[in-house]
Amino acid sequence: MRVTKGARIVAGTALLALAVAACGSGASDGGGTAAGGDETPVRMEIGEPQELLNPQNTTETEGAEVLAAVFEPLVNYDENKEPVEAAAESITTTDSKVWTIKLKSGYTWHDGKPVTAADYARAWNYAANQDNAMSSSYFFGRIDGYEDVHPGEGKTPTTKEMKGLKVVDDLTLEVTLSAPFSQFKTMLGYTAFYPMPEVALGADGKITQAYGEQPIGQGLFKVDKPYKKGTDQSIDLTVYDKFPGTKPTNWKKLQFKIYTSSETAYNDLQADNLDIHDSLPASTINSAKAALGDRYFDEPDAAVGYIGVPLKYNPDFKNVDVRKAISMAIDRETITETVFSGTRSPADDFINPAIPGYRKGACTACTYNPAEAKKLYDSAGGPKSIELGYNNDGGHKEWIEAVANNLRANLGIEVTPKPFEKFQGILDALDSKEYKGLFRMGWAIDYPSAENYLTPIFGTGAIETGSNYGGYSNKEFDELVAKGDQASTPEEGLQFYQQADDILLKDLPYIPIYFYRSNFGHSTKVKNVKLNLLNQVNWAEVEKA
Amino acid sequence: MSNPTPSVGPGLPETQSLATDTVTAPAPPQPGKKAKDAKPASLWSDAWYDLRRRPMFIMSVIIILILLVMSAFPWLFTSIDPFDARSCDLSTARQAPSAGHIFGKDNLGCDVYAKVIYGARNSIIIGVFTTLVTTFIGSLLGMIAGFRSGVVDAVSSRFTEIFFAIPPILGALLIGATFRGRINSIILVIAALGVLGWPMTFRIMRAAVITAKNQDFVLAARALGAGAGRIMLRHLLPNSLAPVIVVATINLGGYIAAEAALSFLSVGVQSPDISWGLMIADARTRFLEAPLPLFFPAAFLSVTVLAFIMMGDAVRDALDPKLR
Amino acid sequence: MGRYVIRRLIQAIPVLIGATLLIFVIVFALPGDPIAALFGDKRPDPAVAEVLREQYHLNDPLLLQYWYYISGVFLRLDFGVTFADVPVSELLLGKFQVTLNLALMALVMEAIIGVGLGLWAALRRGKATDTAILASTLLLISVPTLVSGFVLQLILGVKLKQWTGADIFPVAGTSAGWRAYLLPGFVLAGTSIAYLTRLTRTSLAETLRADYIRTATAKGLSRRRVIGRHGLRNALIPLVTYLGADLGNLMGGAVITESIFNLPGIGNQLFNSVYLREQPVVVGIVTVLVLIYILANLVVDLLYAVLDPRIRYE
Repeated sequence: MRVTKGARIVAGTALLALAVAACGSGASDGGGTAAGGDETPVRMEIGEPQELLNPQNTTETEGAEVLAAVFEPLVNYDENKEPVEAAAESITTTDSKVWTIKLKSGYTWHDGKPVTAADYARAWNYAANQDNAMSSSYFFGRIDGYEDVHPGEGKTPTTKEMKGLKVVDDLTLEVTLSAPFSQFKTMLGYTAFYPMPEVALGADGKITQAYGEQPIGQGLFKVDKPYKKGTDQSIDLTVYDKFPGTKPTNWKKLQFKIYTSSETAYNDLQADNLDIHDSLPASTINSAKAALGDRYFDEPDAAVGYIGVPLKYNPDFKNVDVRKAISMAIDRETITETVFSGTRSPADDFINPAIPGYRKGACTACTYNPAEAKKLYDSAGGPKSIELGYNNDGGHKEWIEAVANNLRANLGIEVTPKPFEKFQGILDALDSKEYKGLFRMGWAIDYPSAENYLTPIFGTGAIETGSNYGGYSNKEFDELVAKGDQASTPEEGLQFYQQADDILLKDLPYIPIYFYRSNFGHSTKVKNVKLNLLNQVNWAEVEKA
Repeated sequence: MSNPTPSVGPGLPETQSLATDTVTAPAPPQPGKKAKDAKPASLWSDAWYDLRRRPMFIMSVIIILILLVMSAFPWLFTSIDPFDARSCDLSTARQAPSAGHIFGKDNLGCDVYAKVIYGARNSIIIGVFTTLVTTFIGSLLGMIAGFRSGVVDAVSSRFTEIFFAIPPILGALLIGATFRGRINSIILVIAALGVLGWPMTFRIMRAAVITAKNQDFVLAARALGAGAGRIMLRHLLPNSLAPVIVVATINLGGYIAAEAALSFLSVGVQSPDISWGLMIADARTRFLEAPLPLFFPAAFLSVTVLAFIMMGDAVRDALDPKLR
Repeated sequence: MGRYVIRRLIQAIPVLIGATLLIFVIVFALPGDPIAALFGDKRPDPAVAEVLREQYHLNDPLLLQYWYYISGVFLRLDFGVTFADVPVSELLLGKFQVTLNLALMALVMEAIIGVGLGLWAALRRGKATDTAILASTLLLISVPTLVSGFVLQLILGVKLKQWTGADIFPVAGTSAGWRAYLLPGFVLAGTSIAYLTRLTRTSLAETLRADYIRTATAKGLSRRRVIGRHGLRNALIPLVTYLGADLGNLMGGAVITESIFNLPGIGNQLFNSVYLREQPVVVGIVTVLVLIYILANLVVDLLYAVLDPRIRYE
């Protein structure tokens, strides 16, 4: 997932340690006792969604935040960061390959029709089909039959349905994966896996503009009126009365206010013109701590920031000591404190603390040690001048300059920060051999598993199709990850993943710099605001003060 | 009817009326057009005599001289080399002014004073070279259009209007974004401002040449068999130069301000180069927390622009006998 | 007159086409793949990217792409869609409203402050007031928007609120209605206020030297009547035309002001769209600005004729 605005440009699917009691199945049918009269809505800050509101085409946080209120996911995440059934009654497997998803009965679409297993199959088949150009298509790559609907560039899909998806009855869906994957259940809380009602598709079999403007979901809130992207300054929602889960106790209306600047939103929050702000920028943190007091929260977030090393492209960095020396020359502590004002924390592992599997201090080369760094760098014969690429659109300039200053001062080398328009520009330049320097890289997970920090970024298979931009390849690492995938339980899998992590810590293919933090605050008008593991507010628990 | 001052903004030179040339009534006179009444030599010496006695002119020249020394020998003003990473200490970021660092520290813990001093050079270079580029292109095309008239004039006038019609800052933003990173950032700023800045000079030169070319001395030269090149170079150029010089001087300040605007929009000077606009842009993220790293470069920028505009103002008054 | 207007409009067509083509080519030359840019830090799925490229005609040659665009504009008044499939015309309507509000606010301030100060200076010509006003205009011209914007935002927006507790000048966003435009409007108008002051001063001073004023004075009319009825009316001509032409300049120059005060106008939108390489949005904005520029100049020239009977158009 990606994030669209400044400070949290990568802090996408933020998973919070502060988890939430997953909405219970025995929820009371209560709620709905709104304070009556002319109710002011609960107002939540978002940036402008990048696309229209279509779950299968939403892979950035702003749109996902809105859709999470309109749709109920199959699973939520509990305080141990484990997936817990939400719209699903049960999700079971015996071999991590064939998964049976049973749906809870009682869920209806906002137009009154019941939700069926076919609605899930429809959504997933639609998203995976390359002709539909949905940005979430890669999420379905593990399902058997993905190649038939997504054969690749220049080829035409041979069918519209993946053979791995089988609707057993109205409430049962059987999913067969092309290979065992022990973490499949954790993926299902993600936006891309929301179902799709039949009315979403027009006569031509494509999602209609009307659905994108006013999606029909099966979640807690329904959308009041079509959203005119680019023009509308808010998206207004109302509690759906027939929603079977928990509802907020004393309010019914929710408004997402669209801001172009998170500083502006912070001003509004202080003035009580906004109730919840979940992306407080670094420049407001000191003020927010003082002004909001116990209404300010600072939680770990699952995203990671690295300095990427072009192992495949530049022999200068082949020697692991060069990479270690660079890592030790970077003062993560001061950078996270001064540049980010604590909206990041120093990285000390490849796995983020918000996810099971993190080990504190695992990365010994991540400790600041300028003297040792200089010694190591000189004896390893590191390059005398290096470039440091970054994309200009994500507020990275300042910390990259700070890293550059660290390297210049501590290693005595020449460092040139090199701005690119977009992150993609760096990748293109690497591919075409125009650029051979270090580059910044961020990773926001797609699903809450330690595996997600390993395979997509460092697996050999990810060089061509994934995000292994540096071209790191280690057979032992690949094997350990594969063992983890095939493990019969997630716990067993984790052990293998941690062994794979150990190899990364030894090889340092990328240099971890910081972990993201989630900084949010709320106004005096609401209380009991908690973010769930995907950094989305748990609306049922929010109360008006 | 009065003549709107050729305007320079915090952006680029503004546009003037699109089609004053197609109006049958007398178009607003260009500054210094009356200069034709005086003989060239006496116009310039008169102007110089006049300038020397204007306090505004003297003041602006002193400021500009200081700036020139600052750009050529910045180390005379500070012992800190802002290009040396060891002069920055991140843990002292945004520190208030102190004895060793009279302007305080910026977001990266670097000395603001040293950066401001070293930033003068790029501003001056960009101001001067953009002015040279626009004056050269504008004068050349303007002279040819004014002298040739007919189809050449019509086509080049339409062509100029295309550039006039594009809002300068937006156009420069586009050009900057397109070529950023592919060529040296300072050359890019000069090119982007130059491409959109020359039409102003074009218009002034063209109008001045049209007035001058029908005068007796030109007709006489032509009767004597002088070629087009000779007439343009020896007769039309000296007689049309005054208004162009006035506009160029005033615009110089405008270009310095425009550089800052472009750097602020991140299509101007790129680090590790230093410029005032870049410093303003970098300080912006923490502006409300720590305004000083933004104010010092902003103050230097304003004083510099003021100095050039004051000088331009004085030169215009001196070259325009009507106002004397 | 009618024929003159038609001729002017016909002359504008090559300018419009030239300007849009120029912008189109520049955006085309912008580095990077606009589709890949939609995927942030992730590598886009090649098959998905290919379908999207096809959908937005990005694989076609430049001139064909331009033809799709310009024919849509002229034949169907269709300005294309953004990469989120939102019609550009719909998107720009809201953004232009913000920028137009800002430009109008600036224009009103120019007219009131600029003409007011200019009159004052002209009537006190050569005295201390005159010198002070002239000096302050010089200051207004010299301080770039970039600087005045931040300084005023801090002093009038933030500090004043801290000292008095009253939020008189909101520092960002448009939620405060017309008050939100006060500060940015003044910042945007700054330079123009200075020029208008100077223009009013010279214009009135020149008019007051004219023969008919001397005649009016000789007739024994009061000074107030001479200035009000005869002087001011004629001195107004260049001022009105200046204001008319300035509207386009203000709208085109608002990008810095909008950025400082976080106003969601066309300048901000253009800035974002340049980075997303949204050709139709960028070209759409520039096209409308060029149109405003052409029309404003036409109106100004016609105003000359209305205000000054000596001017006639063939």
